[in-house]
Amino acid sequence: MTLLDARDLRYRHAAEAPEAVAGASLRISAGELVGVIGPNAAGKSTLARLCCGLLSPQRGSVSLRGELLEKLSRRERARRVAFLPQHPPQDLSFTAREVAVMGRAPHLGLWALEGPRDFERAHAALAELDALELADRPVSQLSGGERQRVFLARAFAQDAALLVLDEPTAALDLAHQVLLVNALRRRAREGGAALLVLHDLALAGAACDRLALMDRGKIAAEGGPGDVLQPSVLSSVYGTQVEVMLNPATGQPLVAPRILR
Amino acid sequence: MKRSAAARAALAVAVLVPVVLVAAVVGLSTGAGSLSLRDALQGREPDATVLFRLRVPRVLLAAEVGAALSVAGVALQALLRNPLADPFVFGLSGGAAIGTAIVTVASGTAVGAAAASAASFAGLLPTQLAAVAGAMAAALLVFTLGRARGNLDPARALLVGVVFNSFASALVLSVEAVLRPDQMQAVSLWLAGSLGYEAMPLLTGAGIALLLPVLVLLALAGRMNLLALGDEGASALGVDVGRTRLFAFFAASAAVGIAVAFTGLVGFVGLIVPHAVRLLTGPDHRVVLPASALGGAAFLVLADALARVLFRGLGAEPPVGAVTAIVGAPLFVLLMRSRE
Repeated sequence: MTLLDARDLRYRHAAEAPEAVAGASLRISAGELVGVIGPNAAGKSTLARLCCGLLSPQRGSVSLRGELLEKLSRRERARRVAFLPQHPPQDLSFTAREVAVMGRAPHLGLWALEGPRDFERAHAALAELDALELADRPVSQLSGGERQRVFLARAFAQDAALLVLDEPTAALDLAHQVLLVNALRRRAREGGAALLVLHDLALAGAACDRLALMDRGKIAAEGGPGDVLQPSVLSSVYGTQVEVMLNPATGQPLVAPRILR
Repeated sequence: MKRSAAARAALAVAVLVPVVLVAAVVGLSTGAGSLSLRDALQGREPDATVLFRLRVPRVLLAAEVGAALSVAGVALQALLRNPLADPFVFGLSGGAAIGTAIVTVASGTAVGAAAASAASFAGLLPTQLAAVAGAMAAALLVFTLGRARGNLDPARALLVGVVFNSFASALVLSVEAVLRPDQMQAVSLWLAGSLGYEAMPLLTGAGIALLLPVLVLLALAGRMNLLALGDEGASALGVDVGRTRLFAFFAASAAVGIAVAFTGLVGFVGLIVPHAVRLLTGPDHRVVLPASALGGAAFLVLADALARVLFRGLGAEPPVGAVTAIVGAPLFVLLMRSRE
């Protein structure tokens, strides 16, 4: 089942600005983890926002589960796709539990009151991300990695089939990166999918089923990690010499910059 | 904090209703003259008249205005994501002041006086109506000029409000130059915020009129929580951020307008009550809003009681707005420091 079908998206942030996304298409089916990689200002975050309706493309269309995004109500949209921005707010006085249960908002009625089921979902999501023991602490007092796990739990609690996560691993230590990827894999097996904007190419190669390499608003290469993570392609797009070897244990491509000293 | 928002709101209300009742008893039993509540309740004169004609309406007015200003403060702080937002840094007070000043000046002219007496005859209160109209006009102005890219921009709206308030007070100062001394005293008393004795039907009407903005804000409380995640974070959770801001802003303005119409500019209530309440309840607006309504009612009733006894020996009474500021400013600093 196709969860996301983005076709020929074009977007510029201001009339005189260059196109941030210049004709990009992307399909994501249930069960897939898709990584979007590329240098700074390649349009990765803009593409992610277009895919969940936070920005409207000037041209092109986005469908979620076969329905055009602009035809969905905001709440219905939020039940189909959950979004985690790159920099969630840091100064919240809400507790981790309160933030996690905010993910239930698109499922609540007029007075926005959560029931026991919503708290169960929030607790399950916190537990999935090893953040249950943080539940009663204000988010403003957590470390960057802890806070990130709480916001990931909020996205998980939303129960949307598609997760769009912008740099979800940037603040996480190695063990929690693996924990997150395994949790995403589990959701994918149950019919979910995720679009991950990633800078860590080693993680992208190991975690994703498919990669889309963006360059100046366009998808420069798309396919399995082995096809996209080619030294020649990466070196030209990133503008620096890149080596790719195979992880001896897993056989997955392993990307490393060549730094001479 | 595992309990649901509804349970925590109910707990806060259960704790605060007795507080309001105690404040009301204090408010009813303080005043210029001595009064025996027992005699009054048994119908003995003149205590009964003093209680039911003077003190009950006065306490009711203080409670309504305190609740309205506090609820508006909560809403404005949430939707501007600024803890310093208060109904009166927002231009609403300036707008109301201009409205009142214009009516006061106009009633000095022959045509204006005739119009004012005609309006009063029709049961309308020209000064009050002008205050509400001025506050709403200021809200509209702040909302229009405070937009960037079609959305209300908190920093910009706050700047517009502050600038407009300075402009308004300059305008009022200029107008005061042409007023007679008695008119000037009325205007400055109003600017300082003072509670008077209003008729019961009017107070009942105001209470009912206040219910609408309060209900709108309660329905928006869950969405106000999500606004703390930022516009994008809230929008990703299905919130129509623009519409939420619009409704919350005008509901808050309506509550402030009604309060201002009766009492003028009673400062600090909308700032200090929400902050004190949040310290006790946490940041969830579904709890903070009803708790602030009750806390604000109790606060202003007590402040008014204090105003009435403060200079009782001198036979004078400071405006309640001065009392809220004198009590409120140090209390606010204390609250801030206890938070750290």
